[in-house]
Amino acid sequence: MASDQDLVVATVREILAGHEPFVLTAERPWDEGLWADLADAGLTGVGLPEEAGGSGGELADAVAVVRTLAAGAGAVPVAEQLLVAGPAVLAADLDLPAPEEPLTVALDGAVTAEPSDDGDGPGRFVLTGTATDVPWAGVARHVAVLAAPPAGIEGAVLAVVDAAGLDASRAVNLAGEPRGSLVLDGVGVPGALLPPAAVDLVRARAALARAVQISAALEQVLAWTVQYAGERVQFGRPLGKFQAIQVELAQMAGEVTATAALVDAAVQALDRGADTVVLAAAAAKVRAGEAVETVAKLAHQVHGAIGFTQEHRLHHLTRRCWSWRDEAGTELTWARTLGAGLVAAAPDDVWPAFTRVL
Amino acid sequence: MSTDQLTLAPAPPSEAAEQVRLEVRQFLAEELAAGTFTTHVDTWLSGVDPGFSRKLGARGWLGMTWPKEYGGHERTAQERYAVTEELLAAGAPVAAHWIADRQSGPNLLRYGTESQRKEILPRIAAGECYFVIGMSEPDSGSDLASIRTRATRNGDGDWVVNGAKVWTSNAHHSHYGIVLVRTAPPGEGPRGKHQGLTQLLVDLSLPGITVNPIRILDGGHHFNEVVFDDVVVPGDMLLGVEGAGWQQVTAELAYERSGPERFLSTWPLLAEFGRRAAASGDPGQLAVLGRLSARALALRQLSLRIAAALDRGELPDIPAALVKDVGTTFEQDVVDEVRRVVDVPASLDSPDPLGRALAEAQLHAPGYTLRGGTNEILKGIVARGLGLR
Repeated sequence: MASDQDLVVATVREILAGHEPFVLTAERPWDEGLWADLADAGLTGVGLPEEAGGSGGELADAVAVVRTLAAGAGAVPVAEQLLVAGPAVLAADLDLPAPEEPLTVALDGAVTAEPSDDGDGPGRFVLTGTATDVPWAGVARHVAVLAAPPAGIEGAVLAVVDAAGLDASRAVNLAGEPRGSLVLDGVGVPGALLPPAAVDLVRARAALARAVQISAALEQVLAWTVQYAGERVQFGRPLGKFQAIQVELAQMAGEVTATAALVDAAVQALDRGADTVVLAAAAAKVRAGEAVETVAKLAHQVHGAIGFTQEHRLHHLTRRCWSWRDEAGTELTWARTLGAGLVAAAPDDVWPAFTRVL
Repeated sequence: MSTDQLTLAPAPPSEAAEQVRLEVRQFLAEELAAGTFTTHVDTWLSGVDPGFSRKLGARGWLGMTWPKEYGGHERTAQERYAVTEELLAAGAPVAAHWIADRQSGPNLLRYGTESQRKEILPRIAAGECYFVIGMSEPDSGSDLASIRTRATRNGDGDWVVNGAKVWTSNAHHSHYGIVLVRTAPPGEGPRGKHQGLTQLLVDLSLPGITVNPIRILDGGHHFNEVVFDDVVVPGDMLLGVEGAGWQQVTAELAYERSGPERFLSTWPLLAEFGRRAAASGDPGQLAVLGRLSARALALRQLSLRIAAALDRGELPDIPAALVKDVGTTFEQDVVDEVRRVVDVPASLDSPDPLGRALAEAQLHAPGYTLRGGTNEILKGIVARGLGLR
């Protein structure tokens, strides 16, 4: 299906072709070369307005970049930058760091923010504490940190931290992507106080970004699995000719297609600023995470033992999906958020609230 | 990539759909308050109420997308979608007209003669004329092309039909059947059996037709066996093209398989569970409600996309098979997931409405993944869409 995003997808694919996925290690925790090529092409600023230093374009373009990189297992903080931290920083009226330098987001841990000036709007804060599970900690140059506001104030402070010189503890997710902690020891940084709804939106953006990545990666996993089933011959027939295998592939296709439809709709809800975007993102994250169970399991089953090896490409995507589903809020957390959100509107009948989500 | 066949454009948002949704919601609230119906699970199979169907017809909520000259209302697929899902969510008694409005009418619009359309479509849109699907037979279930019901031309140019159809929902309340019959021997080759099949429009009051009840496992009478014994069907009741029955059935099945009834049959149970979770505030119950709702939201987006594609004149038979496979699996899973987190035994005699909803949903559950094509057949169609067969 032709879309307005075909050109951006083709450009990202061309760049990806020169950067094979590799096993991430402490020495090589991300794909610096891939990032450099993406930044040179202006792709690390897609969807961020030109007047703020970005490359312009729409949310759909940014999503296309993220999807393509996710399907290619690109080890770069593009989802964090284009879909979460960048828009959140701009929405808070803070200065966007140069998009050529990776920007990530820290949503977890125990960090407090104290104002260091008297301004009401964007101002300066001192951050103290430890941000945990920070995507690309140690890699990203800047981190948009959600910190607890001073006592008695609702919401959170969003602050932009220059991570150069800060210590990042090394921890990784199941795919080896950095997810360490950052210790903030009275760092003075620019920041802004966000009301609770704006905080929820930042978290929803993060969840939706992971859902977008999962959806794209699972589509690729399905394509690889269909391809493999067509090539691998046993008992004189390609695997895909066996009905047992066809059932597994059809089941995978059902999960992939349902997830894609929901994630697309949630992205559109974000794009039009729907007031139900948090519930839409919650649904997308939960559904995508659930799809990972079936799709990754059956992809490995169909690929057989070769797909269980480090030399085979399959693990680059299945390991990522197994982690992404837990990140930016676990499935359980988002499932509760969605359930509570549906009954909150009308405890007597969830249907009207259900039809309003998307 | 071969998954392209599964990809559909998003459905455009529709203000008009949201408007009619509120009208239907208001109507249903009033009817419920007046006690003209009570909410049940799976009412698009079991809830026959001609009076209720006529009320919907009078409000313009049947035949919604059809041309006005045939009694339709020329509204969009999204508007019709909103109406149907509101009716399903409320567990309203819609079984009488459901098949006619969903697929027989569109089938007549596509393939019927002018006089067939003029004669029948306005009555369907009024909620007065009901249809059955004449596909499955005692010896032909999933292998539909193996049907044995035959029709031969007699000297007057009429069709003489012999055979039997089964699982014909509500034939005992219906006026017509669109009956798939063999009119010529199968052709050569693996797809040869798809040749020689024809659809006939059969008035169920014709001499030689016997309707025998087939009770489902809870004793409910929805299904029937319809036996044709030298039934003379007028020659002009051929539907579409003689010998093109297989293609016509395939088109009809895209309507049959993709609607909201393929994931909302057990919504009244989910709604009852939602009330329970709201009252208890139990985090585990709220999480299950959220998880099931996320699945339903995804199915709804898929189903809406197919409705929009049908509206554009496309034939999304493969996505329709997929949504029915995933959707009906969900309908069954609702029972399993809910019963794991509530301390309520399923019983039709339960003093607790949740217990009754669980019982109704459980007793109807085996049907969800069988009717309209078993999920095994549907997965085969999806596999074909993936290029595997």
